[in-house]
Amino acid sequence: MLRVTDVCKVFESARGTYFALDGVSLTIRDGEFVCLLGPSGCGKSTLLNILAGFESVSGGTATFNNTAITRADRERVMLFQDAGSALLPWLSTEENVRFGLRVRKVPKVDWPATIDKYLRMVSLDSHRAKFPAELSGGMRQRLQIARALAVEPKVLLMDEPFAALDALTRRHMHTVLLDIWRRTGKTIVFVTHDIAEAISLADRIAVMSTGPRSTITRLIDIGLQRPRDMTNPKVAQLFNEIESLLTPDVLRSSERLEVH
Amino acid sequence: MVNVPDSRAPFSAAPLRGKHTWTMSPVSRSVLLAGASILIAFVAWQFLSTVLFNPFLIPPPLEVFRTAIPMVASGEILADVSISMVRVLVGFVTGSLAGIIIGVLLGRIRLLHDVLDPIIELLRYLSPTAMIPIAVIWFGIGELSKYFLIFWGTFFIVLINTTAGVWRAPIARQRAAECLGANRFQIFMLIVVPSSVPYIVTGMRVAMASSFMSIIPAEILAADSGIGYLLQKSSMLLQTNRIFVALLTICVLGFIVDRIFRIFVDKVLARYMSFVSQT
Repeated sequence: MLRVTDVCKVFESARGTYFALDGVSLTIRDGEFVCLLGPSGCGKSTLLNILAGFESVSGGTATFNNTAITRADRERVMLFQDAGSALLPWLSTEENVRFGLRVRKVPKVDWPATIDKYLRMVSLDSHRAKFPAELSGGMRQRLQIARALAVEPKVLLMDEPFAALDALTRRHMHTVLLDIWRRTGKTIVFVTHDIAEAISLADRIAVMSTGPRSTITRLIDIGLQRPRDMTNPKVAQLFNEIESLLTPDVLRSSERLEVH
Repeated sequence: MVNVPDSRAPFSAAPLRGKHTWTMSPVSRSVLLAGASILIAFVAWQFLSTVLFNPFLIPPPLEVFRTAIPMVASGEILADVSISMVRVLVGFVTGSLAGIIIGVLLGRIRLLHDVLDPIIELLRYLSPTAMIPIAVIWFGIGELSKYFLIFWGTFFIVLINTTAGVWRAPIARQRAAECLGANRFQIFMLIVVPSSVPYIVTGMRVAMASSFMSIIPAEILAADSGIGYLLQKSSMLLQTNRIFVALLTICVLGFIVDRIFRIFVDKVLARYMSFVSQT
Protein backbone atom coordinates (compact mmCIF):
# COMPACT_ATOMS: atom_id res chain seq x y z
CA MET A 1 0.00 0.00 0.00
CA LEU A 2 1.29 3.42 -1.02
CA ARG A 3 0.27 6.28 1.20
CA VAL A 4 1.03 9.98 1.25
CA THR A 5 -0.27 12.04 4.15
CA ASP A 6 -0.31 15.82 4.16
CA VAL A 7 2.70 15.98 1.87
CA CYS A 8 4.32 19.33 1.13
CA LYS A 9 7.16 19.91 -1.28
CA VAL A 10 9.22 23.08 -1.44
CA PHE A 11 11.92 23.73 -4.01
CA GLU A 12 14.62 26.17 -3.00
CA SER A 13 16.57 27.82 -5.78
CA ALA A 14 18.56 30.96 -6.41
CA ARG A 15 15.40 32.56 -7.78
CA GLY A 16 13.49 31.91 -4.58
CA THR A 17 11.26 29.39 -2.93
CA TYR A 18 8.63 27.46 -4.87
CA PHE A 19 5.82 25.74 -3.01
CA ALA A 20 5.05 22.84 -5.36
CA LEU A 21 2.79 20.60 -3.27
CA ASP A 22 0.74 21.52 -0.26
CA GLY A 23 -1.24 19.08 1.84
CA VAL A 24 -1.47 16.14 -0.55
CA SER A 25 -3.01 12.99 0.91
CA LEU A 26 -3.72 9.81 -1.01
CA THR A 27 -3.85 6.11 -0.27
CA ILE A 28 -3.31 3.63 -3.09
CA ARG A 29 -4.27 0.02 -2.47
CA ASP A 30 -2.25 -2.94 -3.69
CA GLY A 31 -3.15 -3.84 -7.25
CA GLU A 32 -4.96 -0.60 -7.85
CA PHE A 33 -4.63 1.53 -11.01
CA VAL A 34 -4.58 5.21 -10.09
CA CYS A 35 -4.14 8.13 -12.45
CA LEU A 36 -2.75 11.46 -11.28
CA LEU A 37 -4.41 13.98 -13.58
CA GLY A 38 -3.81 17.69 -13.84
CA PRO A 39 -2.58 20.52 -16.02
CA SER A 40 1.13 20.87 -16.64
CA GLY A 41 2.99 22.32 -13.70
CA CYS A 42 0.56 20.91 -11.15
CA GLY A 43 3.21 18.86 -9.39
CA LYS A 44 1.97 15.43 -10.45
CA SER A 45 5.43 14.37 -11.57
CA THR A 46 6.83 15.72 -8.30
CA LEU A 47 4.37 13.54 -6.41
CA LEU A 48 5.41 10.55 -8.52
CA ASN A 49 9.09 11.29 -7.82
CA ILE A 50 8.28 11.33 -4.11
CA LEU A 51 6.56 7.94 -4.41
CA ALA A 52 9.60 6.61 -6.26
CA GLY A 53 11.99 7.97 -3.66
CA PHE A 54 13.82 10.32 -6.04
CA GLU A 55 12.63 13.37 -4.09
CA SER A 56 12.11 13.75 -0.37
CA VAL A 57 9.07 15.34 1.20
CA SER A 58 9.39 18.80 2.80
CA GLY A 59 6.50 18.03 5.13
CA GLY A 60 4.11 15.18 5.80
CA THR A 61 4.88 11.52 5.19
CA ALA A 62 5.17 9.15 2.24
CA THR A 63 5.08 5.45 3.04
CA PHE A 64 5.11 2.16 1.18
CA ASN A 65 3.68 -0.74 3.18
CA ASN A 66 3.93 1.47 6.29
CA THR A 67 7.65 2.10 5.82
CA ALA A 68 8.80 5.64 5.08
CA ILE A 69 10.01 6.11 1.49
CA THR A 70 13.52 7.53 1.74
CA ARG A 71 15.18 6.31 -1.43
CA ALA A 72 14.52 4.59 -4.74
CA ASP A 73 13.73 0.94 -4.34
CA ARG A 74 13.34 -1.94 -6.77
CA GLU A 75 9.81 -2.51 -5.37
CA ARG A 76 8.73 0.66 -7.16
CA VAL A 77 10.00 1.05 -10.69
CA MET A 78 9.55 4.28 -12.62
CA LEU A 79 8.80 4.41 -16.35
CA PHE A 80 9.66 7.61 -18.14
CA GLN A 81 8.02 9.49 -20.99
CA ASP A 82 11.27 9.65 -22.94
CA ALA A 83 12.10 5.97 -23.34
CA GLY A 84 15.03 6.90 -25.57
CA SER A 85 16.72 8.48 -22.56
CA ALA A 86 15.60 5.88 -20.04
CA LEU A 87 16.78 2.86 -22.04
CA LEU A 88 20.46 2.11 -22.61
CA PRO A 89 21.02 2.85 -26.31
CA TRP A 90 24.21 0.77 -26.42
CA LEU A 91 22.38 -2.40 -25.38
CA SER A 92 19.99 -4.46 -27.48
CA THR A 93 16.39 -5.09 -26.49
CA GLU A 94 17.34 -8.32 -24.76
CA GLU A 95 20.39 -6.78 -23.08
CA ASN A 96 18.32 -3.90 -21.75
CA VAL A 97 16.09 -6.37 -19.91
CA ARG A 98 19.16 -8.32 -18.79
CA PHE A 99 20.66 -5.13 -17.34
CA GLY A 100 17.90 -4.99 -14.72
CA LEU A 101 18.38 -8.66 -13.82
CA ARG A 102 22.12 -8.10 -13.53
CA VAL A 103 21.97 -5.11 -11.18
CA ARG A 104 19.20 -6.79 -9.23
CA LYS A 105 21.49 -9.83 -8.78
CA VAL A 106 18.98 -12.35 -10.10
CA PRO A 107 20.79 -15.72 -10.44
CA LYS A 108 22.17 -16.12 -13.96
CA VAL A 109 20.36 -19.40 -14.58
CA ASP A 110 17.04 -17.57 -14.38
CA TRP A 111 17.94 -14.88 -16.90
CA PRO A 112 16.93 -16.54 -20.19
CA ALA A 113 13.52 -17.67 -18.94
CA THR A 114 12.75 -14.30 -17.35
CA ILE A 115 13.84 -12.36 -20.43
CA ASP A 116 11.74 -14.63 -22.67
CA LYS A 117 8.70 -14.32 -20.45
CA TYR A 118 8.61 -10.53 -20.32
CA LEU A 119 9.68 -9.86 -23.90
CA ARG A 120 6.87 -12.17 -24.97
CA MET A 121 4.46 -10.36 -22.67
CA VAL A 122 5.09 -7.10 -24.53
CA SER A 123 5.42 -8.86 -27.93
CA LEU A 124 9.06 -7.89 -28.43
CA ASP A 125 10.51 -11.42 -28.45
CA SER A 126 11.03 -11.25 -32.21
CA HIS A 127 12.95 -7.96 -31.86
CA ARG A 128 15.35 -9.01 -29.14
CA ALA A 129 18.54 -8.25 -31.09
CA LYS A 130 17.47 -4.75 -32.15
CA PHE A 131 18.81 -1.64 -30.50
CA PRO A 132 16.51 1.05 -29.05
CA ALA A 133 17.31 3.34 -31.99
CA GLU A 134 15.85 0.69 -34.31
CA LEU A 135 12.57 0.45 -32.39
CA SER A 136 9.49 2.63 -32.83
CA GLY A 137 8.29 4.88 -30.00
CA GLY A 138 5.63 2.38 -28.93
CA MET A 139 8.09 -0.51 -29.00
CA ARG A 140 10.52 1.46 -26.83
CA GLN A 141 7.79 2.01 -24.26
CA ARG A 142 6.96 -1.70 -24.36
CA LEU A 143 10.64 -2.46 -23.81
CA GLN A 144 10.66 -0.10 -20.85
CA ILE A 145 7.67 -1.97 -19.43
CA ALA A 146 9.33 -5.36 -19.99
CA ARG A 147 12.54 -4.19 -18.34
CA ALA A 148 10.60 -2.92 -15.34
CA LEU A 149 8.47 -6.07 -14.99
CA ALA A 150 11.53 -8.32 -15.21
CA VAL A 151 12.85 -7.10 -11.84
CA GLU A 152 9.43 -8.02 -10.41
CA PRO A 153 8.46 -4.83 -8.65
CA LYS A 154 5.20 -4.36 -6.74
CA VAL A 155 4.49 -0.91 -8.16
CA LEU A 156 4.87 0.66 -11.59
CA LEU A 157 5.18 4.45 -11.51
CA MET A 158 4.49 5.81 -14.98
CA ASP A 159 5.29 9.43 -15.84
CA GLU A 160 3.23 10.33 -18.94
CA PRO A 161 4.64 7.27 -20.68
CA PHE A 162 2.46 7.53 -23.78
CA ALA A 163 2.27 11.32 -24.14
CA ALA A 164 4.75 11.42 -27.01
CA LEU A 165 3.10 8.63 -29.02
CA ASP A 166 0.65 9.09 -31.86
CA ALA A 167 -3.04 8.57 -31.05
CA LEU A 168 -3.33 5.10 -32.60
CA THR A 169 -0.20 3.77 -30.90
CA ARG A 170 -1.34 5.30 -27.62
CA ARG A 171 -4.68 3.47 -27.79
CA HIS A 172 -2.85 0.25 -28.54
CA MET A 173 -0.53 0.84 -25.58
CA HIS A 174 -3.56 1.30 -23.33
CA THR A 175 -4.79 -2.17 -24.31
CA VAL A 176 -1.32 -3.64 -23.78
CA LEU A 177 -0.91 -1.98 -20.39
CA LEU A 178 -4.37 -2.98 -19.10
CA ASP A 179 -3.74 -6.54 -20.24
CA ILE A 180 -0.40 -6.64 -18.40
CA TRP A 181 -1.94 -5.04 -15.33
CA ARG A 182 -4.67 -7.71 -15.27
CA ARG A 183 -2.16 -10.53 -15.69
CA THR A 184 0.43 -9.33 -13.20
CA GLY A 185 -1.68 -7.57 -10.58
CA LYS A 186 0.81 -4.72 -10.17
CA THR A 187 -0.11 -1.47 -8.52
CA ILE A 188 0.09 1.27 -11.13
CA VAL A 189 0.36 5.00 -10.53
CA PHE A 190 0.00 6.74 -13.88
CA VAL A 191 0.61 10.44 -14.43
CA THR A 192 -1.21 12.08 -17.33
CA HIS A 193 -2.76 15.35 -18.45
CA ASP A 194 -5.10 13.56 -20.86
CA ILE A 195 -8.59 13.20 -19.40
CA ALA A 196 -9.66 10.49 -21.88
CA GLU A 197 -6.53 8.48 -21.13
CA ALA A 198 -7.19 8.66 -17.40
CA ILE A 199 -10.82 7.59 -17.83
CA SER A 200 -9.99 4.66 -20.07
CA LEU A 201 -7.27 3.33 -17.75
CA ALA A 202 -7.82 4.10 -14.09
CA ASP A 203 -9.73 2.62 -11.19
CA ARG A 204 -9.52 6.00 -9.54
CA ILE A 205 -8.45 9.42 -10.78
CA ALA A 206 -6.80 11.93 -8.47
CA VAL A 207 -7.43 15.35 -10.00
CA MET A 208 -4.78 17.88 -9.04
CA SER A 209 -4.90 21.66 -9.06
CA THR A 210 -2.35 23.95 -10.71
CA GLY A 211 0.64 24.99 -8.70
CA PRO A 212 1.92 26.69 -6.72
CA ARG A 213 0.62 24.90 -3.65
CA SER A 214 -1.16 22.30 -5.71
CA THR A 215 -3.12 19.56 -4.08
CA ILE A 216 -5.60 16.81 -4.92
CA THR A 217 -8.92 18.56 -5.46
CA ARG A 218 -11.05 15.51 -6.19
CA LEU A 219 -10.74 11.74 -6.07
CA ILE A 220 -12.97 10.10 -8.62
CA ASP A 221 -13.90 6.43 -8.46
CA ILE A 222 -14.70 5.44 -12.02
CA GLY A 223 -16.42 2.15 -11.35
CA LEU A 224 -17.07 1.23 -14.98
CA GLN A 225 -16.34 -2.10 -16.64
CA ARG A 226 -13.25 -2.38 -18.84
CA PRO A 227 -12.77 -2.13 -21.74
CA ARG A 228 -14.44 1.21 -21.42
CA ASP A 229 -16.72 2.40 -24.14
CA MET A 230 -15.79 6.04 -24.68
CA THR A 231 -19.21 6.75 -26.18
CA ASN A 232 -20.96 5.68 -22.97
CA PRO A 233 -22.94 8.67 -21.59
CA LYS A 234 -21.43 8.06 -18.15
CA VAL A 235 -17.98 8.49 -19.63
CA ALA A 236 -19.03 11.72 -21.31
CA GLN A 237 -20.45 12.94 -18.02
CA LEU A 238 -17.19 12.09 -16.21
CA PHE A 239 -15.19 13.79 -18.93
CA ASN A 240 -17.18 17.00 -18.59
CA GLU A 241 -17.03 16.89 -14.83
CA ILE A 242 -13.23 16.57 -14.83
CA GLU A 243 -12.85 19.18 -17.54
CA SER A 244 -14.86 21.68 -15.54
CA LEU A 245 -12.64 20.91 -12.54
CA LEU A 246 -9.53 21.62 -14.58
CA THR A 247 -10.71 24.59 -16.66
CA PRO A 248 -10.33 27.35 -14.06
CA ASP A 249 -6.87 25.96 -13.34
CA VAL A 250 -5.86 25.96 -16.99
CA LEU A 251 -7.03 29.56 -17.31
CA ARG A 252 -5.17 30.48 -14.17
CA SER A 253 -1.98 28.79 -15.33
CA SER A 254 -2.08 30.53 -18.72
CA GLU A 255 -2.65 33.88 -17.02
CA ARG A 256 0.30 33.16 -14.84
CA LEU A 257 2.41 32.60 -17.91
CA GLU A 258 1.29 35.87 -19.45
CA VAL A 259 2.03 37.87 -16.30
CA HIS A 260 5.60 36.60 -16.08
CA MET B 1 14.77 -18.29 -64.23
CA VAL B 2 11.75 -16.06 -63.93
CA ASN B 3 13.29 -13.79 -61.31
CA VAL B 4 16.45 -12.93 -63.18
CA PRO B 5 16.04 -9.30 -64.22
CA ASP B 6 16.31 -8.55 -67.89
CA SER B 7 19.41 -6.48 -68.46
CA ARG B 8 17.62 -4.50 -71.15
CA ALA B 9 14.67 -3.78 -68.90
CA PRO B 10 15.65 -0.22 -67.84
CA PHE B 11 16.06 0.80 -71.45
CA SER B 12 12.78 -0.66 -72.55
CA ALA B 13 10.96 0.66 -69.49
CA ALA B 14 12.07 4.27 -69.81
CA PRO B 15 12.44 5.88 -73.21
CA LEU B 16 15.80 7.60 -73.06
CA ARG B 17 15.85 9.15 -76.52
CA GLY B 18 19.43 8.12 -77.06
CA LYS B 19 20.67 9.79 -73.88
CA HIS B 20 22.61 7.55 -71.57
CA THR B 21 21.99 8.41 -67.91
CA TRP B 22 25.17 8.09 -65.95
CA THR B 23 24.46 6.14 -62.77
CA MET B 24 26.99 5.18 -60.12
CA SER B 25 27.03 3.89 -56.62
CA PRO B 26 27.54 6.66 -54.02
CA VAL B 27 30.79 5.01 -52.87
CA SER B 28 32.52 4.92 -56.24
CA ARG B 29 31.25 8.44 -56.86
CA SER B 30 32.93 9.76 -53.71
CA VAL B 31 36.14 7.85 -54.48
CA LEU B 32 36.16 9.38 -57.94
CA LEU B 33 35.58 12.87 -56.58
CA ALA B 34 38.34 12.44 -53.98
CA GLY B 35 40.69 11.31 -56.75
CA ALA B 36 39.71 14.32 -58.86
CA SER B 37 40.30 16.63 -55.91
CA ILE B 38 43.84 15.31 -55.38
CA LEU B 39 44.56 15.49 -59.11
CA ILE B 40 43.44 19.15 -59.19
CA ALA B 41 45.71 19.84 -56.22
CA PHE B 42 48.71 18.37 -58.04
CA VAL B 43 47.97 20.33 -61.20
CA ALA B 44 47.64 23.54 -59.19
CA TRP B 45 50.86 22.70 -57.35
CA GLN B 46 52.70 22.20 -60.65
CA PHE B 47 51.28 25.48 -61.95
CA LEU B 48 52.29 27.48 -58.87
CA SER B 49 55.72 25.89 -58.90
CA THR B 50 56.69 26.39 -62.55
CA VAL B 51 54.57 29.31 -63.79
CA LEU B 52 53.67 31.59 -60.89
CA PHE B 53 56.64 31.22 -58.55
CA ASN B 54 59.86 29.35 -59.11
CA PRO B 55 60.83 25.71 -58.59
CA PHE B 56 63.21 26.56 -55.77
CA LEU B 57 60.55 28.17 -53.57
CA ILE B 58 57.93 25.57 -54.49
CA PRO B 59 59.53 22.39 -55.80
CA PRO B 60 57.26 20.71 -58.36
CA PRO B 61 55.49 17.45 -57.44
CA LEU B 62 57.76 15.19 -59.46
CA GLU B 63 60.88 16.73 -57.94
CA VAL B 64 59.43 16.16 -54.45
CA PHE B 65 58.70 12.51 -55.25
CA ARG B 66 62.20 12.10 -56.67
CA THR B 67 63.58 13.44 -53.37
CA ALA B 68 61.21 11.26 -51.35
CA ILE B 69 62.17 7.92 -52.92
CA PRO B 70 65.73 7.67 -51.51
CA MET B 71 64.53 9.08 -48.17
CA VAL B 72 61.94 6.34 -47.95
CA ALA B 73 64.27 3.65 -49.34
CA SER B 74 67.08 4.43 -46.88
CA GLY B 75 64.61 4.33 -44.00
CA GLU B 76 65.51 7.90 -43.05
CA ILE B 77 61.97 9.20 -43.21
CA LEU B 78 60.57 6.12 -41.55
CA ALA B 79 62.89 6.62 -38.59
CA ASP B 80 61.77 10.23 -38.18
CA VAL B 81 58.13 9.27 -38.62
CA SER B 82 58.28 6.52 -36.04
CA ILE B 83 60.09 8.74 -33.52
CA SER B 84 57.47 11.47 -33.90
CA MET B 85 54.61 8.96 -33.83
CA VAL B 86 55.82 7.33 -30.63
CA ARG B 87 56.01 10.77 -29.02
CA VAL B 88 52.48 11.59 -30.14
CA LEU B 89 51.20 8.18 -29.05
CA VAL B 90 52.72 8.29 -25.56
CA GLY B 91 51.59 11.86 -24.92
CA PHE B 92 48.16 11.30 -26.44
CA VAL B 93 47.40 8.07 -24.58
CA THR B 94 48.57 9.33 -21.19
CA GLY B 95 46.92 12.72 -21.75
CA SER B 96 43.63 11.08 -22.78
CA LEU B 97 43.64 8.69 -19.83
CA ALA B 98 44.34 11.47 -17.35
CA GLY B 99 41.76 13.70 -19.07
CA ILE B 100 39.08 11.00 -18.95
CA ILE B 101 39.71 10.03 -15.32
CA ILE B 102 39.87 13.57 -13.98
CA GLY B 103 37.10 14.73 -16.33
CA VAL B 104 34.77 12.01 -15.05
CA LEU B 105 35.55 12.91 -11.44
CA LEU B 106 34.98 16.62 -12.07
CA GLY B 107 31.68 15.81 -13.77
CA ARG B 108 30.56 13.73 -10.83
CA ILE B 109 31.93 15.53 -7.78
CA ARG B 110 30.58 19.05 -7.64
CA LEU B 111 33.01 20.29 -4.97
CA LEU B 112 36.05 19.04 -6.88
CA HIS B 113 34.78 20.77 -10.00
CA ASP B 114 34.14 24.07 -8.24
CA VAL B 115 37.64 24.02 -6.74
CA LEU B 116 39.58 22.95 -9.84
CA ASP B 117 37.58 24.53 -12.66
CA PRO B 118 39.04 28.07 -12.32
CA ILE B 119 42.57 26.65 -12.48
CA ILE B 120 41.74 24.56 -15.55
CA GLU B 121 40.01 27.48 -17.22
CA LEU B 122 43.20 29.53 -16.86
CA LEU B 123 45.76 26.85 -17.70
CA ARG B 124 44.04 25.60 -20.83
CA TYR B 125 44.95 28.81 -22.66
CA LEU B 126 48.61 27.86 -22.43
CA SER B 127 49.11 26.07 -25.72
CA PRO B 128 51.74 23.31 -25.93
CA THR B 129 53.86 25.68 -28.02
CA ALA B 130 53.82 28.25 -25.22
CA MET B 131 55.03 25.53 -22.86
CA ILE B 132 58.04 24.51 -24.99
CA PRO B 133 60.61 26.84 -23.37
CA ILE B 134 59.77 25.79 -19.84
CA ALA B 135 59.39 22.11 -20.84
CA VAL B 136 62.94 22.14 -22.19
CA ILE B 137 64.24 23.52 -18.89
CA TRP B 138 62.21 21.04 -16.86
CA PHE B 139 62.70 17.91 -18.95
CA GLY B 140 65.59 18.63 -21.34
CA ILE B 141 65.43 18.09 -25.10
CA GLY B 142 64.90 14.33 -24.74
CA GLU B 143 61.71 12.33 -25.09
CA LEU B 144 60.23 13.37 -21.78
CA SER B 145 59.73 16.98 -22.82
CA LYS B 146 57.88 15.86 -25.99
CA TYR B 147 55.67 13.48 -24.00
CA PHE B 148 54.91 16.32 -21.63
CA LEU B 149 54.00 18.77 -24.40
CA ILE B 150 51.67 16.34 -26.17
CA PHE B 151 50.18 15.37 -22.82
CA TRP B 152 49.61 19.04 -22.07
CA GLY B 153 47.82 19.64 -25.36
CA THR B 154 45.67 16.51 -25.05
CA PHE B 155 44.75 16.62 -21.38
CA PHE B 156 42.64 19.80 -21.27
CA ILE B 157 40.70 19.07 -24.45
CA VAL B 158 39.77 15.55 -23.36
CA LEU B 159 39.04 16.70 -19.82
CA ILE B 160 36.59 19.44 -20.80
CA ASN B 161 34.75 17.19 -23.24
CA THR B 162 34.56 14.34 -20.74
CA THR B 163 33.11 16.58 -18.03
CA ALA B 164 30.53 17.91 -20.49
CA GLY B 165 29.60 14.34 -21.43
CA VAL B 166 29.21 13.25 -17.82
CA TRP B 167 26.91 16.19 -17.14
CA ARG B 168 24.75 15.28 -20.09
CA ALA B 169 24.16 11.67 -19.06
CA PRO B 170 20.32 11.68 -19.02
CA ILE B 171 18.81 11.91 -15.53
CA ALA B 172 16.01 9.57 -16.64
CA ARG B 173 18.59 6.90 -17.51
CA GLN B 174 20.30 7.21 -14.15
CA ARG B 175 17.02 7.15 -12.25
CA ALA B 176 15.70 4.22 -14.27
CA ALA B 177 18.84 2.25 -13.37
CA GLU B 178 18.52 3.33 -9.74
CA CYS B 179 15.02 1.94 -9.34
CA LEU B 180 15.96 -1.25 -11.17
CA GLY B 181 18.38 -1.79 -8.28
CA ALA B 182 21.70 -0.33 -9.44
CA ASN B 183 23.91 1.08 -6.71
CA ARG B 184 25.81 4.37 -7.03
CA PHE B 185 28.94 2.71 -8.36
CA GLN B 186 26.96 0.76 -10.96
CA ILE B 187 25.11 3.88 -12.06
CA PHE B 188 28.46 5.59 -12.48
CA MET B 189 30.25 2.80 -14.34
CA LEU B 190 27.35 1.28 -16.31
CA ILE B 191 25.30 4.39 -17.08
CA VAL B 192 27.17 7.66 -16.71
CA VAL B 193 30.52 6.68 -18.25
CA PRO B 194 29.04 4.86 -21.29
CA SER B 195 26.59 7.74 -21.83
CA SER B 196 29.51 10.16 -22.10
CA VAL B 197 31.49 8.10 -24.64
CA PRO B 198 30.41 10.19 -27.68
CA TYR B 199 31.72 13.33 -25.97
CA ILE B 200 34.96 11.63 -24.92
CA VAL B 201 35.57 10.38 -28.46
CA THR B 202 34.95 13.85 -29.90
CA GLY B 203 37.42 15.30 -27.41
CA MET B 204 40.00 12.67 -28.33
CA ARG B 205 39.66 13.35 -32.05
CA VAL B 206 40.16 17.07 -31.54
CA ALA B 207 43.10 16.34 -29.23
CA MET B 208 44.62 14.01 -31.83
CA ALA B 209 44.69 16.86 -34.36
CA SER B 210 46.15 19.15 -31.72
CA SER B 211 48.86 16.59 -30.91
CA PHE B 212 49.89 16.57 -34.56
CA MET B 213 50.06 20.34 -34.55
CA SER B 214 52.10 20.58 -31.36
CA ILE B 215 54.68 17.84 -32.00
CA ILE B 216 56.15 19.76 -34.96
CA PRO B 217 57.01 23.04 -33.17
CA ALA B 218 58.29 21.00 -30.23
CA GLU B 219 60.67 19.12 -32.52
CA ILE B 220 61.64 22.23 -34.45
CA LEU B 221 62.61 24.11 -31.33
CA ALA B 222 64.03 21.39 -29.16
CA ALA B 223 64.91 18.03 -30.68
CA ASP B 224 67.53 16.13 -32.59
CA SER B 225 65.14 13.73 -34.28
CA GLY B 226 61.61 13.48 -35.64
CA ILE B 227 59.68 15.08 -38.51
CA GLY B 228 59.92 18.55 -36.98
CA TYR B 229 63.68 18.20 -36.72
CA LEU B 230 63.79 17.10 -40.38
CA LEU B 231 61.89 20.30 -41.29
CA GLN B 232 64.22 22.46 -39.26
CA LYS B 233 67.41 20.84 -40.59
CA SER B 234 66.21 21.07 -44.22
CA SER B 235 65.30 24.72 -43.73
CA MET B 236 68.79 25.55 -42.47
CA LEU B 237 70.24 23.90 -45.58
CA LEU B 238 67.66 25.59 -47.86
CA GLN B 239 66.51 22.15 -49.07
CA THR B 240 62.94 23.11 -50.02
CA ASN B 241 62.37 19.77 -51.70
CA ARG B 242 63.10 17.94 -48.44
CA ILE B 243 60.86 20.36 -46.55
CA PHE B 244 58.05 19.47 -48.93
CA VAL B 245 58.63 15.77 -48.37
CA ALA B 246 58.30 16.35 -44.63
CA LEU B 247 55.15 18.47 -45.01
CA LEU B 248 53.54 15.89 -47.28
CA THR B 249 54.42 13.18 -44.76
CA ILE B 250 52.62 15.09 -42.00
CA CYS B 251 49.49 15.43 -44.17
CA VAL B 252 49.41 11.73 -45.00
CA LEU B 253 50.16 10.65 -41.43
CA GLY B 254 47.42 12.79 -39.92
CA PHE B 255 44.94 11.45 -42.43
CA ILE B 256 45.94 7.82 -41.79
CA VAL B 257 45.88 8.19 -38.00
CA ASP B 258 42.43 9.79 -38.05
CA ARG B 259 41.16 6.97 -40.28
CA ILE B 260 42.58 4.35 -37.91
CA PHE B 261 40.97 6.15 -34.99
CA ARG B 262 37.63 6.21 -36.78
CA ILE B 263 37.84 2.54 -37.66
CA PHE B 264 38.61 1.76 -34.03
CA VAL B 265 35.61 3.83 -32.91
CA ASP B 266 33.37 2.12 -35.48
CA LYS B 267 34.50 -1.37 -34.53
CA VAL B 268 34.82 -1.10 -30.77
CA LEU B 269 32.68 1.82 -29.64
CA ALA B 270 29.95 1.92 -32.29
CA ARG B 271 27.18 0.89 -29.93
CA TYR B 272 28.03 3.70 -27.54
CA MET B 273 27.99 6.32 -30.27
CA SER B 274 24.29 6.21 -31.12
CA PHE B 275 21.84 8.67 -29.70
CA VAL B 276 18.16 7.85 -29.50
CA SER B 277 16.09 10.86 -30.37
CA GLN B 278 13.02 11.70 -28.33
CA THR B 279 9.74 9.83 -28.88
